[in-house]
Amino acid sequence: MNRTSLRTPGPSAASNSGLSTASTSGRTGRVVLAVIAVAVGIAFLLPVLWLIASTFRSATETFADSSSLNWHMLWPEHWTLGNIHSAIDNGFLRNLSNSVIVAALTVVLGMVISAMAAFALAVVDFPGRKFVFGVVVLSFLVPFEAIAIPLAHTFSDWGLTNSIPALVLPGLGNGLAIFTLRQFFLGIPSELAEAARVDGAGWPRIFLRIYLPLTRPALIGTGLILFLFQWQAYLWPILVTTSDEKDLAPVAIAKTFNAFSSDYGRVFAETAVLAVIPAVILLGLQRYFVASVATTGSKN
Amino acid sequence: MTLTTHPPEAGETAPPTQRKGSLHRRRLLGNLSAAAIFLTPALALIVVLRLVPVVQAVNDATHTSLPGSTLPPRFVGPDTFTALFSSDAFWSSVRQTLIFNVVVNPLQIALALALAVLLTQNLPVTGVWRTLIFLPAAVPMTGSAVVWGIALRPDGPVNAALAGVGIHQQPFLTGQGQVVASLILIASWIGVGYWMIFLIAGLNDIPTVYYEAAAIDGAGPLRRFWSVTLPLLRRPLLFVLVADTVSNFVLFAPMQILTDGGPQEKSNFLMYDIFHNSFELADPHTAAAELLVLLALMIVIVAVQFRLLRSAEEN
Repeated sequence: MNRTSLRTPGPSAASNSGLSTASTSGRTGRVVLAVIAVAVGIAFLLPVLWLIASTFRSATETFADSSSLNWHMLWPEHWTLGNIHSAIDNGFLRNLSNSVIVAALTVVLGMVISAMAAFALAVVDFPGRKFVFGVVVLSFLVPFEAIAIPLAHTFSDWGLTNSIPALVLPGLGNGLAIFTLRQFFLGIPSELAEAARVDGAGWPRIFLRIYLPLTRPALIGTGLILFLFQWQAYLWPILVTTSDEKDLAPVAIAKTFNAFSSDYGRVFAETAVLAVIPAVILLGLQRYFVASVATTGSKN
Repeated sequence: MTLTTHPPEAGETAPPTQRKGSLHRRRLLGNLSAAAIFLTPALALIVVLRLVPVVQAVNDATHTSLPGSTLPPRFVGPDTFTALFSSDAFWSSVRQTLIFNVVVNPLQIALALALAVLLTQNLPVTGVWRTLIFLPAAVPMTGSAVVWGIALRPDGPVNAALAGVGIHQQPFLTGQGQVVASLILIASWIGVGYWMIFLIAGLNDIPTVYYEAAAIDGAGPLRRFWSVTLPLLRRPLLFVLVADTVSNFVLFAPMQILTDGGPQEKSNFLMYDIFHNSFELADPHTAAAELLVLLALMIVIVAVQFRLLRSAEEN
């Protein structure tokens, strides 16, 4: 597969630029590529389809339908909302709203903190800037999970367990967010800031009035990075929450799954709900994500 | 727009040259204090989220206490590390972690690169395929782990599909020889789309003139991939490779939810082992020592990446 996908771009690219000698081979190449793209897309989608189907049927039916290859694996015979009701009855909405609150706070505060840091590191000229940049990015590129366990000990010493701030805090320092925003800020011509300085504008004004408005796509991408981190969080939430009520949704799912008598139907329903939210957000914002992680954000 | 209107004003209001020295100093001070203010929240987070836990870990690793004892922990220096390094369980965990990472990282990056190249070829409705492949990255890892855990059961759909093509039932997550491969499958289903997006962004940044020039010189598609795409994609590739490596080294949820490090400790990767030591075995001291080893490893990987990125940036 690897081989085909690398080899076949050639003819198509060549035919695009009008250099192909045999346009039929170019067309065949494109068809092959399209077929591969469809196949891979479906391969990634299949587990999601199975998840959705299993959300709307009883667990018994899920296993009965999945015991051999057949159409009903992905299309329930008897549709039911029982799993979703069961999830709601067991307090999943509370866990879900915990997750939404924590993710929203993380995105808003994280964007402010990352943008401020990135601005200082990209635009404000001060001695030792390179060094500070190295420290900031290096320390945040070391994944948070690596130090989560000792930090949880500290947090429990500080009496911060079972609190929203404890859950939000780790999501705020994000090396990738700072790094991508800095790259974008670097792409904005420095004459803009120079001119504003000469006109008497202070750094906060330059930041708010010139840099932020010009970096909207990167900010949206950064918001997505921060959101995905927090929406994925699992280790830290299990370390700093001790009550089922305060659990974030992913933790609640894992608990349902590992409960003595697992209700798999409920597991599917909860996972589906938890997946729908980011899926909808991503459908709308994917292009900003692509734009924001691009290496340059030059506007001219 | 503002771009073209502002620079001329800069010339008009430029300060007289004789005041340049003191102005320069004032400006430097102004910049320093502005930088300090802008960086304070991030630096405070570094102290709380990176420095404090490392100090805590060093403290935990160099002290010892009996579980449940009320006596203050006793300082033992490097004893915990000595015990850790002579423990077979630790080395087996290191070995399994390395096996997992040596396979999963190149595999994910190769797949992500192949897909990124494929999906930057202006195929019909490319956006749809991109989104489908990216979708698993949005599903919380707990959810993906749980769904795959159920799908890979003996009575699950994967075994049913295998039976459909005449392959008999596989143990997957419960098989000593298959658990690592199964975890690689799950981790890749989650991760490939995410890293693909970074590489697509990188590919979009390569000016098409390079490809046109190479085509005029008669370079074939493979040749163009090696001579144009790969060198110009070096920076994003390096970034993705190390970011992926780092995240796979601390992969935790699938093991904690699905395998508990088993069967036969085959999926007892370092991150899970640390958690297990800390909570299930109530031995925070060994866990802290082990964690410092993992952390040192992470810092080395990230530092190497950073150096490579820097040199790529300068070229």
